[in-house]
Amino acid sequence: MNRSHASALQSFARNLQWLLTLRLAVQLATVWFFAWGVVILALRIFGIQNIYWLTMGLLAVAPLAFIASWRAKKQRAPLTKIRASYDRINACGGIVMSAETHDVAAWMAQLPGVATPKLQWRSGRALLLLSASAVFVMITLLLPNRLTHFPGRRPLEIGQIVQQLQAEVKVLAQEKIVDAQKAAELQKQLSQVQNDSLGYDPAKTWEALDHIKQSDSDEARQAAQEALDKTTSLTDAESLAKAMEQAADSGMNATTASQAAQDLASMLSAAKLDNGLLNVQIPPALLAGLNGLNKEQMEKLLQGLESNKGLLSMDISNLANLKMIDAATLAKLQAAGTCDNPDALADYLSSCTNGCDAALCTHPGKGGPGRGGPGAPMTWSTGASEKDLKFQEHSLPPSPNLSQAQLMGVSKAVPELSGNEVSAEHGALNNTAAGGGAANARVILPEQRQAVQTYFKRDN
Amino acid sequence: MPETILKPEELQPVTELARKTLGQLDRILLGRKELHRLVLIGILSRGHILLEGLPGLGKTALVRTIGQILKLDFKRIQFTPDLMPGDVLGSHILQETTSGKRELVFQPGPVFTNILLADEINRASPKTQSAMLETMQEHSVTLLGTTRDLPEPFFVLASQNPIELEGTYPLPEAQLDRFLFRVMFDNVDVDVLNQIISERRRGELPPPTWQMERADLQTLFQTMGKIYLPGPVSHYIARVVSATHPGAVEATGPVNSYVSYGASPRAAIAIAEAARANALVAGRPSVGFEDVKIVASPVLNHRLILNYQARFDRMTPSKLVSELLNQLDETGLNLPKDVELAHA
Repeated sequence: MNRSHASALQSFARNLQWLLTLRLAVQLATVWFFAWGVVILALRIFGIQNIYWLTMGLLAVAPLAFIASWRAKKQRAPLTKIRASYDRINACGGIVMSAETHDVAAWMAQLPGVATPKLQWRSGRALLLLSASAVFVMITLLLPNRLTHFPGRRPLEIGQIVQQLQAEVKVLAQEKIVDAQKAAELQKQLSQVQNDSLGYDPAKTWEALDHIKQSDSDEARQAAQEALDKTTSLTDAESLAKAMEQAADSGMNATTASQAAQDLASMLSAAKLDNGLLNVQIPPALLAGLNGLNKEQMEKLLQGLESNKGLLSMDISNLANLKMIDAATLAKLQAAGTCDNPDALADYLSSCTNGCDAALCTHPGKGGPGRGGPGAPMTWSTGASEKDLKFQEHSLPPSPNLSQAQLMGVSKAVPELSGNEVSAEHGALNNTAAGGGAANARVILPEQRQAVQTYFKRDN
Repeated sequence: MPETILKPEELQPVTELARKTLGQLDRILLGRKELHRLVLIGILSRGHILLEGLPGLGKTALVRTIGQILKLDFKRIQFTPDLMPGDVLGSHILQETTSGKRELVFQPGPVFTNILLADEINRASPKTQSAMLETMQEHSVTLLGTTRDLPEPFFVLASQNPIELEGTYPLPEAQLDRFLFRVMFDNVDVDVLNQIISERRRGELPPPTWQMERADLQTLFQTMGKIYLPGPVSHYIARVVSATHPGAVEATGPVNSYVSYGASPRAAIAIAEAARANALVAGRPSVGFEDVKIVASPVLNHRLILNYQARFDRMTPSKLVSELLNQLDETGLNLPKDVELAHA
């Protein structure tokens, strides 16, 4: 056969082999990319996030090319058929086919010109699928870690809550509200909860977090209550001590001084300052010799009381910063034990000769009979005779607007009364239970309750 | 398989003879070049040809002209419903010999010739048509136990009217299968008609200006035996014939739907021979796929037995063969569906 036709035939066979190889390679690569993508996705879902190892799948392309070449060789028709195809495409009338078994050199001149048949592969769909599979692999590799978890295995987004609780535990430990061991245990529990949190079972996690938060809140509330009690006691004691100091200068007699000192001692003792969550320490030497403290010792006692109040206030401020106690409790704490008129108490102590009540400042209430109504400052003196006196009639000030009221809590029940229930016996509120709203449509707010209770209690 | 392939100098004179024959036919009978080529191919393949067409289209003239050009004996039988086998094959006549005895003497019928024109063959009864079977296949006649060979070469060129016409008997399949080709005579176009009117007054045909010698015809036949049929082409012919059978591996949808019975092995042989003849006429020493495609339709179109559904759907054997050839990959390269082969 003519050399040029022979080479064209070889070229045709080679092109066919290459095309089949390429086509098979594309098909195999497409299948491999999809499979590999699925494997990557599965591995990432089950926790293997090392992209470096996952990209090793690219190395499979080399064996795939080899397999494609091998399969293409198997798939390719034998040379006899390729020769026949060449003959048909070039309209050689069987002469090229005959060349396989016969010498047709004499006929070569009569054959049409040499032309290697063209092979056309409609590759659009195959290449599209290959691109899609490659994109799929890229996506599976570049997918953010948070999206490669099953919803059930995905941890809850509780980082901020855990941080908040950890900060609370830290503050509680710093303030020694909880001991170091319990704090460490709580911290460990929080870490454990964060690690074990699962999206498909959030209830367990929320339950644990609620439990820890409740525990923190309970501790904080208990500490706040304790701080409130102790601050009240310290303030009362401070007021009395100041009054005693002033009264001593004004010539308080010894009996009164002794009684006041006893009252002060019993006040500090009843406060149990060194017990509970927030311990307060008054120098024992001062406490032992309260009866007969000189001015300098009294100053030291006052300083001690003041500094302890400051410490308590600072502790509570730390808790308030983390919102572990509410604003109302904080406000109560700041107003705890304020004595309205310490100078009057000092005057009282100076003038009192027998049977003085040094703890008057601890009694709640304002004003007194004929002293200008509830707004008048508290005075202490020997009891005025109430004979032939009658209360000046005043109408109660209008209730503040509810919208300006401070929300203490929401309850469907009637506001509870601590201690003995008090029923009004005079005026418009006669025989009405507090909060019942039987006679007056106005709602008595919790902050008003104390004043109303005290007002009517005095008559008793 | 021939040991050596024909050389150009061997083939060229023979091809020239075939081309001269075609030239004479085309000169005498106007406007049917393709048909003349097919008829010549049929003769070179030593096959019988069934010419189908309406009266007056030149079937008889074609056969007569071929006889003249090839310088072969030519006889014509006008088939009629009352034609008897003896009228075709010959009969024994009681004769008195010179010695005074009486004996049966065979009187040869018109079938004893080189070219027999069986005109309107489908007007004869099946009995008479069947009388042609042996002559066409065996080239011999057997009467009263005596077999007499027909002269060689022997061709039957039969014409038949479309079977829808009155007074026709459809040819039995066995006889149809013995025809190499069934060639359809179509109407000629206006220009050719015009030429016929102006050049063929009273229908008289011009005499041939060249005639083939017997020896030349023998050379043609011998050369036919040397045309090489490559293996892939042979395989393609086998696949084509096989695919005409419904349910075959490569049978197309229409074949499965419309064909009751496909072509016989005789059809495969006929295609191979006709393809060889086509290659010879084309001046090639070997058969290509294009030769098969040219002759496949006339070889197969009378061999496919269609079902009633084909009649309802106006499906013809020619259409079926054409679709089959279009769908069948000649080389069996088995390229994937999304890969195409095109000429450079």
